[in-house]
Amino acid sequence: MNPKIIYPIPERQRMFFRRLREIVRIVFICASLICLLVNFLVKGKFWSIIVVWSLFSLWRLIFSLRLVEFSVYSHAVRVTLHTIILLFLIDHFLAPGWAQTVIPIVFFADLLLMFVIYYVTYDRRHRHLVSILTLGLINLISIPYSIRSWPIDNWIAFAFQAASLLLFVVLIIISRKDLIYELKVRFMTGTK
Amino acid sequence: MKKSSRNLYLEKLKGGLDQEDQDRIDVFFHELSDQIDMPILSRDLLVHHFVDAFSYYLEQGKSTEEICELMDYRFLGDFYQGDHRRSFSLDNAAIVYPLGMKYGQMPMFRMAAELKEDVQPVLLQLAVDFTIKRFPSFSAVTKNGFFWHYLETVNHVSLIEEEKDIPCKPISILLRGFRSFRVLYCGKRISVEVFHAITDGSGAMVFLKTLVKEYLRLKEIDAKDDPEIPDINSPVDERELVNEFNEAKENASLSTFVDKRSIQLKGKISRLNLTKITHFEMDAGRLHDTARSYGGTITAYLLALLLIASKDCVNQKEGVFNVQVPVNMRKFNGSRTLRNYSMYFNVTEDLSKLPDKKELVGDVSRQIAEKGSEKMMNQMMMTTKKVIRSLCLVPLFLKIPLMQLVYAYLGNSIIAFTFSNLGVVKLPEGMKEAVRKLYFVFVPGPPNRIATSLVTANGISVFSIMRNSNDPTFEQRMYELLEEDGLIENTEGSVEYES
Repeated sequence: MNPKIIYPIPERQRMFFRRLREIVRIVFICASLICLLVNFLVKGKFWSIIVVWSLFSLWRLIFSLRLVEFSVYSHAVRVTLHTIILLFLIDHFLAPGWAQTVIPIVFFADLLLMFVIYYVTYDRRHRHLVSILTLGLINLISIPYSIRSWPIDNWIAFAFQAASLLLFVVLIIISRKDLIYELKVRFMTGTK
Repeated sequence: MKKSSRNLYLEKLKGGLDQEDQDRIDVFFHELSDQIDMPILSRDLLVHHFVDAFSYYLEQGKSTEEICELMDYRFLGDFYQGDHRRSFSLDNAAIVYPLGMKYGQMPMFRMAAELKEDVQPVLLQLAVDFTIKRFPSFSAVTKNGFFWHYLETVNHVSLIEEEKDIPCKPISILLRGFRSFRVLYCGKRISVEVFHAITDGSGAMVFLKTLVKEYLRLKEIDAKDDPEIPDINSPVDERELVNEFNEAKENASLSTFVDKRSIQLKGKISRLNLTKITHFEMDAGRLHDTARSYGGTITAYLLALLLIASKDCVNQKEGVFNVQVPVNMRKFNGSRTLRNYSMYFNVTEDLSKLPDKKELVGDVSRQIAEKGSEKMMNQMMMTTKKVIRSLCLVPLFLKIPLMQLVYAYLGNSIIAFTFSNLGVVKLPEGMKEAVRKLYFVFVPGPPNRIATSLVTANGISVFSIMRNSNDPTFEQRMYELLEEDGLIENTEGSVEYES
């Protein structure tokens, strides 16, 4: 059998990222386990959780991208969420007392940035509506956390939460038509 | 017409033409721009396709009047005017594809047509621009719903590519937001690679034939109308978008997907999805006669040969050996749907007790008649429907790991490989003369080491073996078996992608 070659001979297959991914996975798992073990043995603050979460974030945000509906918007939302959880963990386990103020600022900055991009880009913006709404919704869920000591101790957090909430409401009002459409299709249960 | 870099190209295009021709070009491109309501980059891209084709035709000595008629911008329809949104839930057969997707693994398949002349990329690009509007489910992307994935149409410009890489490579994650298929060209071959969630082999073949017909029209080769090839300028036929699984008879009893694990062919599975493709070209008439001489159909005959070849390519001799055979459900009810509408059954043999060829063909024929009957297929459809209905309220984020677990346990391990026979593809007069043969390629899913297919057109049957392992024994054995019956006229393929 001597087949005639009818397919182009491809350049050397770029397996670099796939191999790197496999190595990184092993390294990250090992590093996480070692950190947890060392932390357990030496006692003290729960710093290993920060390491584990940071490695997990790196994995999810660089090496394990979403296979369906990956976009700059959806990725930006993921980056924000991972960052906020990291900030919360640092505040909670290492150096407490600042995240209540910082997290609402990060949320607001990100929401504002996405809101601006959303409304200045020409069309097809509604295709990313769900990503932005997800961010807004998670922000809403986080309100009770940052206003625990409202209004005396943390008026900055409250101000930013209020601004985020306002932005979220404006977004809903402006894009209500697209929002209704999105809700309809995203919650389809059948295969009609 | 809005100012942009394309004006420079237009000026170049008009150089050397008389005033009347120049005016005609101006009017044409002015009206074309009015026909497109897209972001500036996409609009320029689309206009460039017309500039390139115009330039090609001028080089061929065509008059501007003839050119304007051939590439009439009205063929674009209203596809590129604004953002049309249309959502489709995935059909019952397609629902599993995005759920089971892993990094670097995307269920893609390819339909290709080999023409008698080299492909002109500029005309192929224009043919894609004109054709895609008629296939809204092809211009759709997969999205995440709360309960299921679904499809949503996009009207991005689809760019053709020169074939340089391994066939059926997954579409890049970064491009997946606006891509579910790709059109490639290489020498005389036009290939369409499709994400299986969008359509099945029969649907993709309709798309390929329509694209080739439009390409030939731009080449001034008129193919006759064919009921199987939709008119690209006609409105979308809703029957082509129907999920036929919903029409399955509710009274059919249920069958089961679960089967015993199959023996697998030997060979180390590669990191690449494909390591080699081999095509055996055969005369369709002679193949048919040979199959008849053994008392079976072409499918039964080739399945028997595949089973015989497998016997020498397994390490484990005892146990069940299953070959999956997809069944095009359209043959039972004449459906026109272009979405997934296939079921499958398994042909099962004990490799240690294979009878002689004639007896084996008889046994396979009996299994095809029994397991591939309309009744059995309806039962399977009902089961699929029932399983999907029972899962419909489970959120997608729970469904994905659950399905991946089920898929890892059952998945392809219950079969050794798939043999998909697309049957005889009828080409209309005009196209028949311009197209030499067709190819059908798809990727084996691990732990399977091979996938096999057959497609017949213009009296030529192309039997293909796609391999993802390092062991070439199977295709060599298959070659010997087909040669024994004097069937092979030509052997083609790829290099070994991973040695």
